[in-house]
Order: sequence, then C-alpha cells, then structure tokens
Amino acid sequence: MNDDKLMQAARQLSTKISPERDLWPGIAEAIEKPAPRRWSPMFAQAAAVVLLVGASSAVTYMSMKNSVSPIVIASPDMVFEQASFGNRYNLGPGFQAARNTLVADLDVELERLSPEARENIEVNLTLIHSAINNMNVALEEDPENIVLQERLLRTYREELALLRRVRGLTRNVMLRNDI
Amino acid sequence: MTALLAAGLSDYSQVMATASTDALVDERALIKQAQRADARAFESLYRLHIDKVYGICLRMTGNVSEAEDCAQEAFIQAWNKMDKFRGDSAFSTWLHRIAVNAVLGRIRKSKREQDRILAVADTGLPTVEAGDTGELRDLSEAVDRLPKGARNVFVLHAIYGYSHDETSEMLGIAAGTSKAQLHRAKRLLAQQLKQQGFEA
Repeated sequence: MNDDKLMQAARQLSTKISPERDLWPGIAEAIEKPAPRRWSPMFAQAAAVVLLVGASSAVTYMSMKNSVSPIVIASPDMVFEQASFGNRYNLGPGFQAARNTLVADLDVELERLSPEARENIEVNLTLIHSAINNMNVALEEDPENIVLQERLLRTYREELALLRRVRGLTRNVMLRNDI
Repeated sequence: MTALLAAGLSDYSQVMATASTDALVDERALIKQAQRADARAFESLYRLHIDKVYGICLRMTGNVSEAEDCAQEAFIQAWNKMDKFRGDSAFSTWLHRIAVNAVLGRIRKSKREQDRILAVADTGLPTVEAGDTGELRDLSEAVDRLPKGARNVFVLHAIYGYSHDETSEMLGIAAGTSKAQLHRAKRLLAQQLKQQGFEA
C-alpha cells in the first residue's frame, strides 16, 4: 500500500465513535460538585501569620511551662514601665540608656518639627504609652501571661523606634539656626 | 431533466448549508449558555461532540476504559475552562485539544507504554469501529500497534485531518517532529499491511 493509498484509507477511518456507555452521568456528577475553594494569596498569607504566631506561642509556652520565672522590675524612672518579662526578657541597660537619651532630647527634637508632624508624633506616643500602661495593669494581675509580656516588649520597641525616627526626622531638617 | 436535477441539487446544497449554519448558531448559543454555568446547555454540547472526542481518545489510547476516562476528563476540564473559550478557534478544535491533553496526561501517568499494548491485546480490537471493514479494519488494528509518538501524529493528522502545525501544537512537539513521526507511521503501517498481504 503506497503513501497516497494509505492516507486515503486513513481518511476513511471513522472519526466518530460512540462510547459503549453514556459518559454524561459521570461528567454531570463531577461538574455539579461545588468547585473546591482556592485560597487567595492574601488569605493564605494571613493564615501563615496566624500559624506562625500560634506555633511560636506554643513553643514559648512549652519552654516556659515548667520554669519558675523570677519577676524583674523594670527601671523605676520609666513611670509607665512596671512590668516583668518573665525569665526570657528584660529591659537591658542598653535599651534603657538609649531610651533615656531619646526621651531627654524629645522635647527639643519635637520643637524642630512642623506643628502637624509634632502633633502626629505626640498622638502616637500617647497611644503607645496608654497601651503600655494598660498592659502593665493587666500584668500586675497576671504576671506570667506570656502573650502580654511579649506584646509589652514589642510595644517598648515600637516606642524606641518612634523616638529614633523623630531624631532622624529632625536631623534631616536644616533650620535657620543651624546655618 | 438535467436542469431539474441541477435545480434539485442546488436546493439540496442550500438546505445543507442552511442546516450547517443553523447548527453553528445553535452551538454558539449553547456555548454562551454553558459559559453562564448552564449544565443543560453543556450536556447538549457533550451530545454534539462526544463521538469525535471519544474517537480521538480511543484511537490514541487504544483502550476502551482509558478512552472513556479521558473523554470524561476532557469534558470536565472543558466545563471548568468554559469561560476561557473565546471563539478564536472552532469549539471542536478547542475541545479536541483538551482531549489530547487528557490522553497525554494519562499516558504520562501510566507506568509503562508496554502495559497499554498488553491491555489492548487483552481487550481484543477496541478501536475497530463497526464501520471499519476489510482493509480499513486491518488499518485500524495496525494503527493501534504503532509506537505512541507515531500513532498520535497519525491519528490527529491522517485520520482527523489536523495540519502538522495544529497536530504539533496539540502534542507539544515541533512541526518537523510531527512530519517525521508521520513518515515513520506510514512506513511502519505499510510494513504491517504488507505482512498481512496488502500490496500497493
């Protein structure tokens, strides 16, 4: 059989072949099932954060469960700072020195900023101090609460970061007095 | 008489052309409805196309149960992708491409190609359609025995009439490879048929 004859014969082969059974019921069943919900990237990220926080809290809890935590009193000159941080954290002397310097310079630094920026920073600092006070009150009742301790520590860091940012802002502003 | 016959043929052609146009319009309407998640419209599309889709699956896999699974999978995928069909190609071409992908995916999953050949032998002559008789029946059986690459190209190009460009795109191969596989398929088929007593 030559090529042409072979191709002619191939063209005559049936292209339509009926299946021996009706395949529709299986298809109908599959397409009527609700499609599995896909997680959006944002939702997946949020879930990952929750998982990470959960896992981290669990590890912290497990590691501290059996240990007795001596209460460490923070520096008395920090009026809103009365918390203990269990045996894992404390406000080290480096932190306190840095904070004291920043707080001491704060009024001068704020004076160099525009009224809007100053107001904005003062509002933020008030919020942070209020949060620290609330957490300290809660920690007085529940000194071993790990979540509160960690939040308090994080809030102190946020305060320090804000104070540093204020200093950075004023260093970048050249005033008439500086010339 | 000749004039009457000619007029009759002309009328017949017009009727056929009108019927064909109507079918296209119907299909377009069904596609739009199916794109709006109308399962009944999709079932009508299934009824229109199942025989060709199943035919491709059967000729490519050479196995009834695998062909049934592939055809079902193709229609399920088509349903899930209905919103992606833009009408750039014919609906049948789009559907056949999905079916070919379903077959290729299944072949990749199967342990060995040899298993398929044994399965074909076990199930008799699955791809031989009632309409294929005599030489055609022998040709159909010979196509079943072709190696995978040559068989896929022969089925899509020689039996279903797709161009080398379309065939190569469907199979994910170069057009040159498609031509080479067709040449190989023709050579192997000629050898097989010659052994069975068919001469040029």
